[in-house]
Amino acid sequence: MSETFQAVSASSEGDYLLLAIETSCDETSVAVVRNGREVLSNIISSQIETHKQFGGVVPEIASRKHVESITLILEEALREAKVELEDIDAVAVTQGPGLIGALLVGVIAAKSLALALDVPLIGTHHIAGHIYANHLIGDIVYPSIALVVSGGHTEIVLLEEEGKFRIIGRTRDDAVGEAYDKVARALQFPYPGGPCVDRLAQEAAEEIVLPRSWLEQDSYDFSFSGLKSAVLSEINRSRMKGESPDFSALARGFQQSVIDVVTGKAIRAAKEFGAKQMLLCGGVAANRGLRERLSSLCEEAGVPLLIPPNKLCTDNAAMIAAAADLKWRRGQYSSLDLKAEPILSLEEWSV
Amino acid sequence: MKSIDNRSEDSSVTVLAIDTSTAAFTAAIVRDGIRVDSIISFTERNHSVRVLSEIKELLSRNGLKGKDLDAVAVGQGPGSYTGVRIAVTAAKTLAWAWNKPLIGVSSLKALALGAWNSLREANENMVPDRDTWIVPLMDARRGQVYTARYSADAAGKWETVDGDGIRLIADWASRIEGEASTDSQVAAIWFVGETAPHQAAIEQAEQSGTRLRVLACDMNATAVGQLAEHRFRQGERDDVHGFVPNYTQLAEAEAKLLAASRGE
Repeated sequence: MSETFQAVSASSEGDYLLLAIETSCDETSVAVVRNGREVLSNIISSQIETHKQFGGVVPEIASRKHVESITLILEEALREAKVELEDIDAVAVTQGPGLIGALLVGVIAAKSLALALDVPLIGTHHIAGHIYANHLIGDIVYPSIALVVSGGHTEIVLLEEEGKFRIIGRTRDDAVGEAYDKVARALQFPYPGGPCVDRLAQEAAEEIVLPRSWLEQDSYDFSFSGLKSAVLSEINRSRMKGESPDFSALARGFQQSVIDVVTGKAIRAAKEFGAKQMLLCGGVAANRGLRERLSSLCEEAGVPLLIPPNKLCTDNAAMIAAAADLKWRRGQYSSLDLKAEPILSLEEWSV
Repeated sequence: MKSIDNRSEDSSVTVLAIDTSTAAFTAAIVRDGIRVDSIISFTERNHSVRVLSEIKELLSRNGLKGKDLDAVAVGQGPGSYTGVRIAVTAAKTLAWAWNKPLIGVSSLKALALGAWNSLREANENMVPDRDTWIVPLMDARRGQVYTARYSADAAGKWETVDGDGIRLIADWASRIEGEASTDSQVAAIWFVGETAPHQAAIEQAEQSGTRLRVLACDMNATAVGQLAEHRFRQGERDDVHGFVPNYTQLAEAEAKLLAASRGE
């Protein structure tokens, strides 16, 4: 690794203010962060109420909503941070992955700001943001293992050193959050139903045991589509027998299966790679069952665990600033021709 | 709240104008109704990549900074949804960051005015005291067009006859032809803009011998700037935060939901 000398840019010393924008899905978010870690504001405007009526995120409507709120959220973020636009030293934005039309609004707004203020622009990877949300609440010790669980992503990422990402496992079909939402629909919860499944599973007295999808013995990959089908066929089976399906026992069975596999693989990765820390991140990190199990497994294994508070787990711009700080400190800026990318490699985004 | 920088409306006015509603990305600097400089490029479906560096280059080669501008003007659509959002987002953010007034104009009106300007330059159809109808077209697929109708004359009249909308070209062209054939005030009818995909429908509509003329032309931000300057001098300003593209129609999912709620 040629990490021996660090680019000594003007930016590597002293206080600096980063304004970050995140519009990769259905949240319009702007944050102002000092020195990459101190969150002065983190405004999140959720469109969830709008998309609820469609049973999921409608990309065209998400893009329309971002345009409606972008400058308003920018203004609110500055006001709450009590800073002036002229005080901003750099602008960061989620470049991808995400919904292309939604990403575009944030990318264009960020490029416009970088031009107007004549400051550097930093295109940022959304998943690096989720991982580095942990840097807003504590120190990251390397090597560490990040378990990324969200509506669009399920990944185990190895960080051998700061800003170097290596994906060692990923989902081969549905993301965890996606599986939760689909199962929630089968259990007749309104969108987004993931948190409802979590609650029902916690309260359940019984469990219908469902299969665990471990895949190949040494694989860190995931597959959740079979589990989702198992839930659906269990519902069908009860109905054919004229019984009403036990939704809470099913929710518990589904949740237990997901948690067993996800935490089991994460812990195995931590042991194999000698991780000094486990980082849980992404929207599904809000899941209580998952938090509790991973906490106890990490304690048993003697691996310290960081979990950001819920507001930093779901999509937000402060986490984008936290990841962009990696690039700022190394003077690695993007050009004004930055392109929004619906698919973007995390490993290639490494510093 | 920031106070908008408002100069005397009698003095010189410099506007940065942009439009990305069509296949063309176009930006212009317009001062007192005259084009100072402009750019046009056809980076199909990729306006988002170059838009800000092109604007930066345009400003710097004319020795301008944000503070030298009186307003930021933008084509509000209709047109490609993603396309329109690019210029609108850029214009909103630049106007907000520079603390300058934002002025939106109809992209169709700008397309029509640009065409009318070039017809006048070419001295086409200058019948004194009679009107020319200018009908801008942007393809909206499945036989539809984003379109409007303006009435202009050599004395400088410029009126909107029909506002922006999405219409079926076959019905629209024959309706215009029909109305023109009973209106002796109309000297000429020009379909302008993205006319190529609709040539056949326009020819089809020439029923009673009223000639429907066609001028294929591209969007030009100079016309966006000219229309915006007119609004600016009238004291009109758009609200930066509330400003959104004119899509002319609901998103498909919204339309379906609305239809379902009506029991259709």
